[in-house]
This record gives sequence, C-alpha cells and structure tokens, in this order.
Amino acid sequence: MKLGGYEVKLEKKVSFTGWQAALISILAILFALLLVGFIFLQAGVNPVIGYKEIFSYGFLNAFGLPLTINRAIFLLLCAFAFIVPMRAGLWNIGMAGQLYAGALGAFAVAFAFGAKGAQHSELSPGIVIPAMIAGAAVAGMVVGAIPGLLKGRFNTNEIVVTMMINFIAFWLVAHMIKEGGPFMGSGGEGEGFKLPESIQPLLFEGIPFTIWIALGLAVLLYFVFAKTKIGYQIRAFGLNPLAARYAGISPFKISLLVFMVGGIIAGLAGYHYFATVPGVYKITKNYGDFGDLAFYGIICGLISQGNPLAAIPLALLFGGLTNGGRFVQGKLQLGFGIDYALLGVLMIILVAFQFFFRYKIVWKQIEKEKKDV
Amino acid sequence: MFDFFVRSLDASTIFTIAALGELIGQRSGILNVGVEGVMLFGATIGFIVAKTTGSYLLGFLVAIAIGGLIGLLHGFFSITLGGDQVVNGMGIWILGFGLTAYIGYPYTGPLGMDRIPDVLGLSPFFFVGIALIMIAWFVLSKTNLGLKIRSVGENPSVAEVSGINVTKTRYLGVVTSGMFMGLAGAIYSLDYNPVWNYNFLMGWGFIALALVFFSMWNPFILLGGSILFGSLWQLSLNPELVLPGVLSRYIWRTVPFAITIGVLVLMSTKWFSSRWGAAKPEALGQPYEKE
Amino acid sequence: MPTEIKRGDTVLVAKGITKRYPGLVANDHIDFEIKAGEIHAILGENGAGKTTLMKILFGLVQPDEGEIYVFGRKVHFRSPLDAIDLGIGMVHQNRKLIHAHSVIENIMLGHPNAGNILNLKRAAEEITELCDRYGYKLDLKAKVWHLSEGEKQVVEILKALYRGAKILILDEPTSALAPPETEKLLASIQIMTGDELAIVPFITHKLPIVLSVSHRVTVLRRGKVISRINTADATENSLAKEMVGREVIFRLERVADVEKGKPILQVENLSAFNDKGFLALKGVSFSAHEGEIFGIAGVSGNGQQVLAEVLAGLRKAAGGKVLIDGIDITNSTSLQRWQNGMGYIPSEQRAVGSIGDFSLVENMLMNYYFDAGFSKWGIMDSKKIRSLTEELISEYGVATPNPDVSAKSLSGGNLQKLILARVLSRKPRLLIVNLPTQGLDVGATEFVQNKLLEAKKARAGVLLISEDLDEIMSLSDRIAPIYEGEFMGIIPGKSAEREIVGALMAGLQQKAVEI
Repeated sequence: MKLGGYEVKLEKKVSFTGWQAALISILAILFALLLVGFIFLQAGVNPVIGYKEIFSYGFLNAFGLPLTINRAIFLLLCAFAFIVPMRAGLWNIGMAGQLYAGALGAFAVAFAFGAKGAQHSELSPGIVIPAMIAGAAVAGMVVGAIPGLLKGRFNTNEIVVTMMINFIAFWLVAHMIKEGGPFMGSGGEGEGFKLPESIQPLLFEGIPFTIWIALGLAVLLYFVFAKTKIGYQIRAFGLNPLAARYAGISPFKISLLVFMVGGIIAGLAGYHYFATVPGVYKITKNYGDFGDLAFYGIICGLISQGNPLAAIPLALLFGGLTNGGRFVQGKLQLGFGIDYALLGVLMIILVAFQFFFRYKIVWKQIEKEKKDV
Repeated sequence: MFDFFVRSLDASTIFTIAALGELIGQRSGILNVGVEGVMLFGATIGFIVAKTTGSYLLGFLVAIAIGGLIGLLHGFFSITLGGDQVVNGMGIWILGFGLTAYIGYPYTGPLGMDRIPDVLGLSPFFFVGIALIMIAWFVLSKTNLGLKIRSVGENPSVAEVSGINVTKTRYLGVVTSGMFMGLAGAIYSLDYNPVWNYNFLMGWGFIALALVFFSMWNPFILLGGSILFGSLWQLSLNPELVLPGVLSRYIWRTVPFAITIGVLVLMSTKWFSSRWGAAKPEALGQPYEKE
Repeated sequence: MPTEIKRGDTVLVAKGITKRYPGLVANDHIDFEIKAGEIHAILGENGAGKTTLMKILFGLVQPDEGEIYVFGRKVHFRSPLDAIDLGIGMVHQNRKLIHAHSVIENIMLGHPNAGNILNLKRAAEEITELCDRYGYKLDLKAKVWHLSEGEKQVVEILKALYRGAKILILDEPTSALAPPETEKLLASIQIMTGDELAIVPFITHKLPIVLSVSHRVTVLRRGKVISRINTADATENSLAKEMVGREVIFRLERVADVEKGKPILQVENLSAFNDKGFLALKGVSFSAHEGEIFGIAGVSGNGQQVLAEVLAGLRKAAGGKVLIDGIDITNSTSLQRWQNGMGYIPSEQRAVGSIGDFSLVENMLMNYYFDAGFSKWGIMDSKKIRSLTEELISEYGVATPNPDVSAKSLSGGNLQKLILARVLSRKPRLLIVNLPTQGLDVGATEFVQNKLLEAKKARAGVLLISEDLDEIMSLSDRIAPIYEGEFMGIIPGKSAEREIVGALMAGLQQKAVEI
C-alpha cells in the first residue's frame, strides 16, 4: 500500500516485548470503552458523565470501593482459574461451573456442621472456616478434574466439556437451593441458607481475608511458572505439545494437573463470593449473574497474556467497571446489563487486536528506481 | 406421547440447522466455537424485530442477515487476519452473550404474537431443516462448488495452485454458516419457545458444535444426532414420561449436557477415532497464508 | 496456445531472470530455453537457485527482472493459474494433492471444464485414455492417501496433462521413488517427448538419472547459470564438478572400525500401527550394538517413522518387545527412556524436536528438566543450564548472537546442531536419529555425520534412519533395508552393494543375508 512517498507494509513480528503487549492492551481497553460509550449515547446518557459516575463510584466512593475490591478478588481468582490451563494451551471456560461447585462444597461443609438449622449457633470459626475453604477447593478440584481427565486421556474437546459442566453445575445448584432442596434457606425465596454470624469471616474495612489468598496466589503462580520444573513443563506443553511429549512430558498429567488447579482456584472464588462478601453469606437467588461474571476472568487472562501478576490491575479495573456499571444502571437509567455489553465488546476488540501481536506496520520510504548499468 | 414426539422434532430442527451451518464452515476449514454467540444474535435480534414490527418474515430475514454478518466478522478475523480461530470463536460467543444480554433485556418476556402454524402437526421449520440437509449433501458431494469447498478445507495450498480462490471460497463458507446459525436462533426464539430471557439458548450452540464433531461431517449422521438430542432435551423437560417421580426436575435438566460429554468420550474410542481422523478436514482451524 | 507444435520448436524462453531476497540474489540473470520434445534438466545444489527459478516459471513468484516467452509470446504470470492456462504444468516434490479426495477428484479440481455438477463419467473416460497412452494403471476412484509415492506422482502428472500442459516442470521427480517406480517414470517421460511435450526436471543429485534421460543440462550455482551442456558430452564427474565447483569425492572416508560391544538395543518381533490404523511395522527383529552404526534404509512411508516413534516411547507397540541394555522397556514411558540412556533426534526439527518460541536455553532444558543435577526441590537452577547452553553453543558452532534468542530464529542447520548438542551432551548409550541431514546444506550435513561417527567412537549404539542411500552406505556398519514395515535383510556395510540395497528398499529381491 502506498501513501505519498512512503510504502506501508505489514511485516510479521518475530517477537514482542512486554511493553508492546501492555501498550496494545491498553489501547484495546480504551477502544472498547469508546465503543461502549456509544451504547451510553443510544440510551440517552452522556458517555463522559456515564464513565465519570462509574469510575467515581467504583474507585472513589466509600461504599463502592470495597465492593469493587471484593469483585476484583472474585475476578482475579477466576482469571487464575483460566490462566493456569491457558499456559498449557488449554481453554478453561468452566470457571462458572467450578465456582458453583466450590460454593456447594463450602456450604456442604457448613451444613455438615449444622449451620443451616441454627442461625445463631456458635460454631468455631477456626475450625469451620478452613474446613469450608477445603470443601470449596476439593469440590472445585473434582469438577475441574473432569475436563482435564477427559482431555488428557481421550483428547476430548475441553471447550465443549467445560461448557456442558457449567450448565450441569448450574442446575445442580438450583436443585440444592430451590424447591425444598437440602440447602434451601428459610426465607422461601429459592436461595441458599445463610451462614450464621459465627462463621462469617472478619473483615478489614469491608474486605475479607480472601484478598490475601488471591494476592498470594498471584505471586505463587508467577513463581511456579517462571522458576519451577512443573512450570516449565506446563509452558513447554502449551507452546508445543508434540515437542513436549517428545521430551517426555506427559500430556495426561499436564492436562489433569492444570484443570485440577484451575478448578481449585475457581472453587475458592465461589467460596469467596458466596461466603465471605459482606451482605451475602449465602448462595443468592441470582447466583447465575455471578457465575457469568466469571467470564471476565477469560478477558483478564487473555490481556495479561497469562501473567498472574499482570492480572491484578486488570481484575481491579474490571471490578470497578462492572460494579460502577451496575450502580450507574440505576442512577442514570441505563438498561440492565451494561456490564455484559462491556464484556462482549471488550472481548471482540481483544480478539481483533490479536492481529497487532502478530504484525507490525512498517513505513518505508520508496527507493527511487535505480538505473541498470 | 405424540406431543413429546412433535416437540422433540421441533427442538431437533434447531440443532440440525445450527450444526449444519457449522459443518459447512468446518468443511471449508474454518472452526467457529462461538456458534452459541451467532445463534444468540439471530435469536435476540430476530425476536426484537418481529416484536416491534409484528412481522415474522422480517424477523427471520433480519436474523439470517445478522447471522451472515457475524459469520463475516468471524471470517475477517480468521481468514484475512489469520488469527487463532478458537480465540476468535470465543470472542464471537462472548460478544453475542454480552451484547444480547443488554439489548434483549427490555424485551424480556413472551413474544405475544400468534404462533406460526404447524404443517402436518410439526413445525414447518422441521421440513426446512430436512431440505437444507439434502441440499447441503448434494452440493458438497456432487457439485464442483462442493469439491472446491471441501478442497479448501483439506489443503488450501493445493486448492490455490489448482486455480481456486481460497479466500473467496472460505468467506462463502463462513457467511453461509453464519446465516444458518442466525436462522436456527430465530427459529428458537420465534417458533420453538417464543419467550425472551437472558441466556435462553441454554448452551444449545455448544451442543450443536459437539454434534458436528459427532457427525464426522456427514449431513445425514448430523440429522440423526440432532433428532436424538432433541428427544433427550424434551425428555429432560418431561421426565415423568420415563421415570416418574425420580429425581427433581433440576437434575433432569442436566441430562442432555451429561450425555453430550458422554458422546464426546465415545468419540475417542478406536472405532470412532480412526474414522474421525480420516473424515476431518485436514486444514480445519489452520490459517492459510499465501506463499 | 498454438495447436501446431513441431518437434524442435522453442516453446519456452526465459531471459535475464533475476530475483533478489534480502541478503542474497537467488536468481542472477538466468537465461533458459526449452524445445518441444526435449528433456532439459536443471541441475544445482540446495541454495543454487533452482527452487526460485522453478517458482518463477510456474507463476508462484514474480521475478524482479527478466522476461518469459511462452510459444513465442511474452507473458506475465500473476499466479500459477496464468501459467496453467498457458500450458505449463508442475509436478511438485511434496505432492500437491488432497489426500482425502479420490484420484479423479484431484485431477478435476479447479478444471475449467468441470461443470457445475461434476460429470465424472466423461472425465473418467478421457483420463483413462491418457493413462493408457502413457502406460499408467490407476484406480480413479481410489483415495489418494492409499496410493504409493510413485502413484501419487502419476496423479499429479495426469492432472497437469488433463489441464492441457505442453510443458511439464518436474520438481525432484525421482527423490521419493524406489528404483522400479523410477524406471516407469522415465519410460513415460520418453513417451511424452514423443508427443512433443517439453520436460524440465529440476534435480539436486540424482546424476545418473540426468545422464540417462535428458538431452541437455543447465547447471546452476549460486543463482547463476554456470554451464549449458549437451548430455551426450557429460559424465557424472563432470556434472558434479560443475555443480559444486570442485572435485567431489562420492564416498565419505570409511571410518576405522570400532570394536563392537554388547547389544545395547534388542528388538523382538515388533509390530505397530500408524495413525491411519494400518499395520505399519510388521514383526521386526534386530539388535544394535555398542560402537556400531546400524543403518535403516528406506523410502519414506515404509514404517521407519513408526519404528522410531515406538523405540522412543512415543507410540505404543502392538506386539513384540524392546530391550535397552537387557531391560524390557516395551511399556515404559518416553521419559523413562531418556532417563535410561536413550537419545532420540526426530526428523521434524521444528515441529517436534524443538520449541520455537522458547529461547535456546529453554530448549536445552527439554533434555535437562528432569535431571536432578539441574533442579532442587522442584526449582530449576537457571545459572547452571545457562552456562551449559553457552558452552554447547560454542562447542557445536551454533551461529547465534546469544542464547536468549528464540529457537525459531535459527536456521535449519543451526537448529539441528542445537538439537544434536542437547541430545549428545547427555551421552546417550543408544542414539536414534531419524533423517538427521534432511534439508541441510553440505557443510551442516558433514558436521552432523561427523558427530554420528564420534558418538559411535564413544561406544554408543547408533540407529540411523535415512532415505539417503549414500549416507547410509558411507556411515553404517550394518544396513537393514526396510520395505512396507519389514526388514528385507541385514547386510554388512563394508560389502554392501548399492544396487542390491536399492533393490531391497524397493521390495524387489527376496530377503537377503541375515547377520
């Protein structure tokens, strides 16, 4: 393509730096926000005001900020659940199902300790809370292991399997908390039972201890991938499964491992959201909304290129955006689901911007024709 | 009982047409895992158009057009930009999922129009589905166009050197594929279950994807699989027909999804996998770059 | 396209063809012409510019300078389609065919007369006529993946002829053929020239073929035409000298024999299936000893790949046993084999042997991540692996600015050196190498072959799988020709005769001497 005296060409990139990746990602996010701004316009809202409200509620407001952080913890855990299999070249879009399983696991433990019947019972948090966490982790691990096992042993398509399990888990939760299911709460509203105060975790400024789990996992995962034997094997398998197999790395072990770990982390996300966030402490009627928010984890994972540390600011950003988005929905009369619209637009922009990761635009001055001697 | 049978076939129609669309796209070498997204667009926008204009025809036409447009988008990312087709497909799905949640919300609820009349007791689209299957089979195996489509899906560089425009042929495949999926979505929201609800497709797009793999890219096996799944779905809604009183209705809803997983596992057995490997379009999912 | 072509008419003229790529001039003012009824071979080593010239003549690549005249008219190819329309057909080395389709579907693909609804019956009649004329026998309905290499080539030839080609470009026509198929090809080429077709074979090194069948030879070296010779005036030596620019010795100096040790590899009645479900390896038995190079010679597709994969632990055996140093490892994993002294260099360097996006250091880890000396409590010792990589890079002469570049940026020869360094540095007792010098230039090939000899001297048992008969003959202590999954005998390397090994590779003679 020629422009003036210059020729514009597309050259394949051999590699790109972390800074280039960050720049492209920021551009992608900005572009997506711009596009969603049009949706604001169409709903009769000034986008500048709309975004201002979103950001100020999400990040600057005394009520909004803790909510944002709680969401961010949730999204970060979901991002990790996506990232671990992603580094192995596998798609875990089953975080939603795995987190439902985690929630069920945690509440099953609480149930076993008699938490359902006696709302004011004195349960020992030092025992029950870790047990609940373990329950969530185990449940998530088991559900996560299924696609991992099937992929590793039979090479079945993990995208379809995880998606199917999302729906299976969704209905299982419904069974448990609605219409006389074992976990049904006393209010008769088709939601789960509420945790007694004794095992509602302590908060610091409205933020539960799970923030340490999330941040700790970020560092741990980063370290594991960069420096350990197993991290190397996962990365090798993700980049070239044939070569990894040649080098003696077992596809079965890797598939199973990454999905189990992803499942554990997603299970913890379920525990976090339904059992530690203030004002909740039960599996809510609209639990599907949160499950679907887990898909933001996919976006975090893709933008961060699988880097767990880079996922932290992203989770915070999206936590704020979705939280602020919900708030603004009511205040500015925007339709329901603006955070979903943002999710959709963001994803497709990211997909489009993949292109920039592979090619760079090169400007070259056209050489004058040389005369043949 | 007859009712169950009829509803099963009605449900199967949607699987048939959506999966057929994906089959055509895959035969041309393009993998689209975001079938659900395309169907959601067709279903939601078709619903909105029909509800606001009162015209079924317009609803269907717009849905087909939107489907084709989304197919074109997927084609642009996968063919022209040569990006990872799985990522692109995921993008299409989430785009569909996210945008339709927002766009459709104000229209939540029943369509409120007279139902489309049945033909021979069945939805008219059942026959449309059968016709499309036959046409697809004929075109793919007996015509020059079909040979071209299959060739760009097996080995695009050979096709190119033989004088076929790979890019054009693949775009044709992917747009046609999108149109089918949009149609299937509209059939769901305008005929099978005309009530809009957030995420109302319930994973049917993913089941359709699984069906394509299961069918080993043979339109007739696809038809058989769709009918099977349509029946399973109806069964899960009415378990009293088979096992009254056992298990809550929620547990029954999980059955079709579990069976899909079972089918996929079945496909890894020796009998299946060697045939599957031979039937798979060799270049499926791989971007083509001209030398 | 003119209908009246007489024998001796000039049908194609290329003048001053020049093509530049960054850093090199692939074709430098090349002049070339061919007459109807003539076989005009183009000879040159890898890198001499043959491939580029061929792509230009077929319209795959545009020349920077130069003109092409076909049947006297100046032409400009925008794509192969233009070339095809003008009567130029090409038969590719890597068989541009669609394996899942039938023979007739492949021939009809893209044909302007194919019609909307495929009229296969009439086409079948016309194609069968062509077959009869040139002495080919093919089942038109058979799927291409069932066919042998020679048969696939016939399909490509028919495809070009059915499109009306009057000029046939053949890319390495005999490299993948066993001797009897080569005979058939040469015979049919003779018939074609009788029909006033012009044939241009592009050849690297099957000099005897060039001598026996062509009328003229044009030799390329470094992108330029070095000489144009009438074949009647040439000999194998004179041609080789022109190609390479110096006297060429045709056999590597035989290495002094190393004393053979105990059997390090024992294979008993080994069978295995390939990916398509066919029995590709049928009850093979042999043993390889320490300090010997055991050569397996075969045309690709006769089971060698499957054998290599089974021995390396990448494919399950269907029956039989494999023992390394007396221990039955038939069911052990590939990791266990690496840990027990096996080394395997696969034929696909980039797809299997290395990880392109990893750095050279990380690629080195492919054979060291499981080594207890390089990690502690699961954490890897990055300093140690880095210094090992740097050491090996300099020892093996891998051309790279630093060990952190990604492996995909290395050239084929350098990548193979890296892989060799990686595998050999573990001092394997059993070294399996599959097509180790495929695609490498002369210098790299020499390097690799010397490394194999070094490994033999270091008392490893080396299993060499190769398609290059010269390589097998000059390196192996014992040779086993493989044909359709069976060993056709095991022959001592010193006394082996090229013709006999060649015949066994083609399944001709009955099994020969067993050692």
